[in-house]
Formats: sequence, structure tokens, C-alpha cells
Amino acid sequence: MDTAACWFANPAWVSMEREEKTIARGLRRRDPELLDGLIERFQYRLFRYLLFLTGSRETAEDLFQETWIRVLERGRQYDGRSKFETWLFAIARHLAIDLLRRKQPQSLEALSGSNEESQIPFQTSGERSAFESLAQREEGERLAAALANLPGSYREVLVLRFQEELALEEIASVVEAPLSTIKSRLYRGLEAMRELLEGERS
Amino acid sequence: MSEDVHKRAERLIATSNVEGISAPDREWLNEHLESCGRCAQRAAALEQVVVTLRSVSIPPDPAVVEATRRRVRVRAAELHEQQVRLRALWMACAFSWGLGVLSAPLVWWALQWIGEHLALPTAVWTVAFLLWWTVPAAGAGGVLAWLRTRSPSGEYLRGLPR
Repeated sequence: MDTAACWFANPAWVSMEREEKTIARGLRRRDPELLDGLIERFQYRLFRYLLFLTGSRETAEDLFQETWIRVLERGRQYDGRSKFETWLFAIARHLAIDLLRRKQPQSLEALSGSNEESQIPFQTSGERSAFESLAQREEGERLAAALANLPGSYREVLVLRFQEELALEEIASVVEAPLSTIKSRLYRGLEAMRELLEGERS
Repeated sequence: MSEDVHKRAERLIATSNVEGISAPDREWLNEHLESCGRCAQRAAALEQVVVTLRSVSIPPDPAVVEATRRRVRVRAAELHEQQVRLRALWMACAFSWGLGVLSAPLVWWALQWIGEHLALPTAVWTVAFLLWWTVPAAGAGGVLAWLRTRSPSGEYLRGLPR
């Protein structure tokens, strides 16, 4: 079976492809209804990414708003060939880096300095009992503290991979780094997280 | 058990969390983890990191989401208005250009006549003819550039409630 046949034989791919094209068409028209829907759908993921990237709720909220305005203004550049969230996260990342450059001409590492106290507020996901919620909250707070101690480049790929569930190639596209670099950052980030969390436990 | 076996297990544990591993590797790793407490502990710790990362939810403030929606709508309306204005400007430019082309022989003849009547050097009325063409285009370009400087995001956000 050739590639095209495989592509069309897979309903999930066809549906995703159609959805991305619909989003691209709507963005070209600057359709406010479509943008409302996109904000509703991606609000948690985008905000979480920005929060982990910046380590500051206030900065993440500002960037959240700026990202959607940028999506509206630059929507014509999205062609629907890649997943919308990949494009969205790339825009958010560029805005975060621009913000950092305005503040201090350093790298992404400085966006959420490890010496700063983490302002990442955690909340449990899904329906849980009070005990489970408490346990997960504690785990979340430990995770926040551990993440705050990681270099920004590690934290970013960990969030994109394990929270946003992006494929490695998609992360490479968002971060604009080679696949090998992404893998290396993931391995090192995971290992650092494990050490930090184990260190806290012991 | 040799150190190489543990190294292989460590590598596979890491790879399984990041890229995934093949079925034979998975089978080998599972067998190893059953017999090696240290590697099993390491695998469980990494697994726990991944589970914790996946289970965390951080909702944005609903007021911020609402404010974002409002700002996007305001900006969309502004861009639409700007587009309409630009379209009108382009149409005016096109009309003006068409009129200029059609009237060129007449303008040339008129300027030549005035130049001869006032005994002006040829260069003067030729320059006047060139200005007849370039001044409107320069004016339209200036208006377009001015509109462009007004469009960057940020300006329109001031004064709106957060």
C-alpha cells in the first residue's frame, strides 16, 4: 500500500488532517468564533506550558493573552500541515524568549531561574477522593519544587513530552533544536528529576 | 550479575520512557527487573516521575481566559476594520493609477503647452510631469507605512480590563 493509501485508510489521520485544515481556514479568515473555541480547548495546555516555562503565574498569564493575540494576527502563516498545538507552543515559546530578551539578554535558562522560588500552583486532575487529592497535591508540590530546580531547557522538553504528549519530532519543531538534542535533554531531565525527587524523599 | 547488564537495563529503562523500546528489549528488561531490585527501584522511580508529570493539572484563572477572549475579539474587530480601510485605499490607488495612465497624454500635452507658453526650460515641465506620477504614489505609500506603524500588538491592549 502506498503512502497516500495508508494515509486515507487511517480515519484518525484523515480526521486530524481535516481538523487542522479547518483551523487553518478559520485562522486565515480571523474567525473570532474559531478562536474562542481554540482558546477554550487549549487553555489548560498552553497555560501549563507557559507556567512551567516561565515559573511565574503572572508572566504566564500575560504571555497566554499575547499568544492568542499573536495567533489571531499571524494566523495566516499556519498552513494546517502540522498539528495546531505545535504551532501554538512555538508561538508561545517565541514570545517568552522575546520577553526574556527585553528583560535580560540571556538564554531560556534564565526565564525561570533555579534560584527563584517556584510560583507553580498545582491542582489535582480528574475526580478523586479528598485523600487522593491531598496526596496528589503533595506530589505535585514536590514536582514543582523539583522542576524549579531544573535548567529551563530540560524543564521545557519534559513538559512538552509528558504533559503535552507531543511527539519527539514535534518537540524538536517547537524548540527548534535537533532531535538528538531533544532526546538528550529528555534523558538528562528525567534523570535529574529522579535524583531530585529521590533526594527529597530520603 | 555483570555491570554491563545493569548498564543495559538502565539504558533501556530511560529509553522506554522517552522513545519506547522494542518487544524483545521489553521482554529482556522485564525479566531483568524481576531479578534485580536495584534496577526495579530505578525503573519505578522514573515511572513515578513520568506519572506525576502526567497527572498534574494547572488551570488558568477563568478571568484571564475571559479577558483573553475579549481582547482577541476586540483585536479581530480592529484588524477587520483595518483590512476594510486598506482595501479602500488599494482601490483608490488602483483607480488613481488607471486615471493617471489614461490621462498621461493629456497631462503631457498640457504641461508642454504651459511650459512653452511661459518659456520654461523643457526639464522643468518634464519634472512636473514626473511629479504628477510620483507624488500620489508617494502619498499612498506614506499612508500605508503610517497604518503599518499603528498595527503592532500591545497598543490596543492598553486601557482594557485584565
